[in-house]
Amino acid sequence: MTDALRLERVSFAYGDVTALAEVSFALGPGERAALLGRNGAGKSTLVRLVTGLRRPAAGSIWVEDWDTRDRPPEQLARRVGSMFQYADQQLFARTVRDDVSFGPRALGFAAPEVQQRVGRALAALGLEAHAAHHPYDLPPAFRKLAALAGALALEPRLLVLDEPTAGLDRALRARVASALLERAAAGAALLVVTHDLAFAAETLERALVLDRGRLACDEPLAGLLAAPPRLEPLGLAPPAVAALSRALGLPGAPVREADAARALARVAAGRRAPLD
Amino acid sequence: MTRLSLEHVSFWYPATDTPALADVSLEVAGGEVVALVGAVGAGASTLLLVAADLAPRVVGGRLEGAVDFRGRGNGEGGRGIVLPTPWTQVSGMAFTVWDEVAFGPANLGWPREQITRHVDRALARLDIAALRAREPATLSGGELQRVIIAGILAMDPALVLFDEPTAELDPAGARMLWRLVRSLAAEGKAVIVATSDLDALPDVADRVVWLEQGRAKKIGPPALLAEDALCAAGLGTAVAVVWRAGGLPRPYPLTVDDAVRLWRHR
Ligand SMILES: Nc1ncnc2c1ncn2[C@@H]1O[C@H](COP(=O)(O)OP(=O)(O)OP(=O)(O)O)[C@@H](O)[C@H]1O
Ligand SMILES: [Mg+2]
Repeated sequence: MTDALRLERVSFAYGDVTALAEVSFALGPGERAALLGRNGAGKSTLVRLVTGLRRPAAGSIWVEDWDTRDRPPEQLARRVGSMFQYADQQLFARTVRDDVSFGPRALGFAAPEVQQRVGRALAALGLEAHAAHHPYDLPPAFRKLAALAGALALEPRLLVLDEPTAGLDRALRARVASALLERAAAGAALLVVTHDLAFAAETLERALVLDRGRLACDEPLAGLLAAPPRLEPLGLAPPAVAALSRALGLPGAPVREADAARALARVAAGRRAPLD
Repeated sequence: MTRLSLEHVSFWYPATDTPALADVSLEVAGGEVVALVGAVGAGASTLLLVAADLAPRVVGGRLEGAVDFRGRGNGEGGRGIVLPTPWTQVSGMAFTVWDEVAFGPANLGWPREQITRHVDRALARLDIAALRAREPATLSGGELQRVIIAGILAMDPALVLFDEPTAELDPAGARMLWRLVRSLAAEGKAVIVATSDLDALPDVADRVVWLEQGRAKKIGPPALLAEDALCAAGLGTAVAVVWRAGGLPRPYPLTVDDAVRLWRHR
């Protein structure tokens, strides 16, 4: 099966400042990857390259069998749904529904198909009640969700999202998580830039960590989150659930809330106290 | 001393019937960190806009009740707000990060020497001295958020209002920011912060205000974030939420350290 996304020794510089250096990885269909790293590590730069807004200085990026070098962003959008870090500033239509419809319409789908896709995307994020609102009458968090709905409505094979949960509350983060899991279950590959490691733990399975433009690690996310000494030098810190599991010695070192709650209940019921 | 007091404050955005804030009373003193928690739309951002004197003065709308702010006098020690979307807060007038951070202080009409001192200190505190010659428009999201925060702190406000100040920061940067919030309070500033980073609050906040549909539903110590009602409303710390979901008895632990203590004594 072809990869949904493949980077081969990709480098990029802004003027003489290197932002990415020889980054290589591939994502298969349905794979859920977190792109992590310090502020300035190069995450958004990588998003700009994958979506075709910038071109690699060296190396190549493949979206399935397309070399991004040959494709303008509007064509890449047939396969890549994206959301940028400042997404709440990138809405321009008069209603949320119009904004979400823009992508599928631009791809040339017939009106009924557009309507269905928009309906599914709004429902996946619980935005139906806001469909008729002007985006700028909504708080930034909802504008962010609207931008995400726009990417979902493309029903693309690859979703590339930059900080989709920044500023969202717990309920909204859970909506984003379930919408993304649903797309991945349908075969979409996910590449999600996030500083929200609790959200990443709930939603994603693979950790790609950039450190000053280099890919410093590529491994299962849960294992990395359970190893604080490895997180620290990468500018990361274990989320509270991972820290709790570790402090109590919960079996299996769970990093998701539901898994930790189950492990806790089992140990408590069995009166096995790992600390004693 | 009390820096800010809200008495029975209600606020309506233009052309709306439902108040975004409803009968909120709150006093915040210098040296204190007050955290606003609640669902998106519950009123935390609005409360900050009211406290900053931006609502209704700039955003329009209608306010009832009394808002009283006491600065340090002499035109010094005003109030500064960090908005949730840092990219909307760039002056657009500066070609370098240093000038961007100096923009606020320069507008206060300070002498050059005082501006320089405050700008350099703010850059150092946000760990961005290395970015001083960079063009603001080319910064990464987290770099820009630090620059905006530095620009507010450089004005030396007596009341600092933060709306989701860690949204774009990496985990190490978020820890730095929360330490900085404590040290601002230690200098005597009053700090109000709206945040969804609930796990940070036990170490940072003196008091927590739970907002729901514009009302201050409960005000108390950070231990509130381990209460059943807050957990049910999605406002518990992760540790409290896991404890509760595991069906373990109350009281729920607030932090990992609390959990370890409870676990040992069970
Ligand atoms: N247009 C530009 N010109 C010069 N340097 C730039 C430009 N855009 C980004 N940079 C620099 O490139 C580096 C990588 O930036 P990028 O936006 O990819 O970081 P990031 O990992 O997304 O960070 P954050 O977590 O803060 O969003 C940073 O040091 C940034 O300052
Ligand atoms: Mg970025």
